[in-house]
Amino acid sequence: MSDNGGPNGQHDAAIAFEQVDKGFNGRKVLDKVSFSVARGEVLCILGRSGTGKSVTLKLMIGLHNADAGKVLVEGEDMATLDEDGLVKVRRKMGYMFQSAALLDSFSLNQNLAMPLHRLDRTKSPDEIKRAVSETLRQVGLEKDGEKMPATLSGGMQKRAGLARALILRPEILLVDEPSSGLDRITAGEIDDLLIEVKTKRHTTMAIVTHDIHGARKIGDKFAVLDQGRLLAFGTPKELDSRQDSRLQQFISER
Amino acid sequence: MVKSAFELIGRVTSFGGRALRDAWTPPFEREYLAWQLSEVGVSSFLLVVAAGFALGVVMTLHTRSTLVQFGATADIPGFQSLAFINEIGPLVTGLLMAGRVGASIGAQLANMRATEQIDAIETLSVNSFKLLVVTRVIACTVMLPVLTVFMDASGILGGFISEHLISHLSWTLYLHRAFENLALANFIPPTLKTAVFGYLIAIISCFYGYTTNEGSNGVRKAATNSVVISSLVIILADVILVKCIFFLFPDQAL
Repeated sequence: MSDNGGPNGQHDAAIAFEQVDKGFNGRKVLDKVSFSVARGEVLCILGRSGTGKSVTLKLMIGLHNADAGKVLVEGEDMATLDEDGLVKVRRKMGYMFQSAALLDSFSLNQNLAMPLHRLDRTKSPDEIKRAVSETLRQVGLEKDGEKMPATLSGGMQKRAGLARALILRPEILLVDEPSSGLDRITAGEIDDLLIEVKTKRHTTMAIVTHDIHGARKIGDKFAVLDQGRLLAFGTPKELDSRQDSRLQQFISER
Repeated sequence: MVKSAFELIGRVTSFGGRALRDAWTPPFEREYLAWQLSEVGVSSFLLVVAAGFALGVVMTLHTRSTLVQFGATADIPGFQSLAFINEIGPLVTGLLMAGRVGASIGAQLANMRATEQIDAIETLSVNSFKLLVVTRVIACTVMLPVLTVFMDASGILGGFISEHLISHLSWTLYLHRAFENLALANFIPPTLKTAVFGYLIAIISCFYGYTTNEGSNGVRKAATNSVVISSLVIILADVILVKCIFFLFPDQAL
C-alpha cells in the first residue's frame, strides 16, 4: 500500500516509512509498509494486537532497525545513523511507553530530571527543578514528584510517562497505547492532555491505540495495520467513506 | 555446544571490552556512579565483615587444634594473617560479592529490560550502556579491593578474639606475630587481584541482565547465571592470578 504523499512528499515529512519490512525470529511483522506524517500532524496507528503497531513506533525512534526499506525522521535515515546521530534525532523526540517504563529506582522528579541533566547543560539545578515541576503540573502530578513509580496508580504512571516524554519539549511525540488498562474517564484525561500538546505546541505525533473514540478526537490521519500490511491510510473522513467491511471493523466506534 | 560456548565467551569478552573503553570517555555519570559505589560497597559492608569475623574465629579454632599437637600455637596469628591476606580474604570476598552483587545486578538489569526501562533510557538520548553497565563495572572494580581489606581485618580480629578467649594472648602480641613475617608485597597483589574479580562479576552479571530478552523468565535466568558463572569464573581467574602473582613476585612463592 502506498502513502498519500509520494516520494518527494515523504522526504519533507517529519516521519516517513518507505517500503519497510521488519521481522522477528523468521516471522514478518511489517510487510512493505509506506506512509508519512507531516509536521504538526497527528497520526493514529490502529489495528489488532500483534500486528506491528508498537514495532512501528520503535522503528521511528531507532529502538529497532528495518530489515528492508527506509525509516526517515526529519529526513534522516534511522538505519544509517551512528550513536551521535541517533542521539541528535532522538533529542527532538519523546516516547511514551505503553507500560510508562518509568525508572523504578528513581522518584518522579528524578525520572523527569534525568534527560535534562544530561542533554541541557545550560540549565542550572533550579531551572531543571522548575522545568520538572512545570511539566508535572501540566499532567496534574505536581504534588507527586517525590513519589516512587511503584507507589503510583496505572493512570498516574501513564501521566508521568507522558510528562517524561514531554520534558525535553519534543518536536515529535510517539505514544504507545495511551489509554490501555485505564477507565474511560482517565483515558479521556490522557486524550485531553494529548490534544493540549497538539494545539499548544503543534507537536507531530504518532499514537498507537485501540481506542477508536480517542483516536477520532486526536487524530488527523489514521494508519490501519492488518497482518503486518498497511490496510488503509488517510483522514478519518476519507476512511469512513470507503466501503471496506474489514476496514470499518477497525475504525467504527460501534 | 562447544561452538555456542565459544560464541558466548566472545560476546562476553566484547561486552567487557566495550565497558573498559567506554569507562574513559565522557559523559562519566558521576551521580549514578556514586550511587552504585554505595550500592556495592556500603550495602555489602556488614555481610563481608560478619563473614570475615566468623571465618576468622573458625579458622583459628581449626588451626589451633592442629598446631597444638606440635606445640606451635604461637604461629597461629602468622598463619591466620597469611591465609586471610593471601587467599581467604580475596576469594571469599569475591564469592560473597558474586552472590550478593551479581544476583542483584543480573536481576535488576533483566527486569529493566523486561519492563522497557532500558529502552526508555535510550529514547531519552541517554546512553544506557554507560549509565547502567559502565557505572556498575567501575563500582565493583573499585569496591572489591576495599571490601577485601575489611574482610582481612575482620578475619584477623575474629582470629584474635578466638585466640584471646583460649590463651589470653594480648592484642599487641597477636598483631606483632600476625604481621612480623608479612611485607607490603604480600598484601598488595592479592588485594588488588580482587579488582579483577569485581570487574568479572560486574561484566558477567551486566551481560546476562542487559542482553536478556525473555521477560520475567529472563530475570530468573539472569540472576541465576550471574551468580553461578561469576563464582566459577572467579575461582578459575584466581588460579591464573595466583600464578601471575608468583611469576611477578617470586618471593611470595617461597
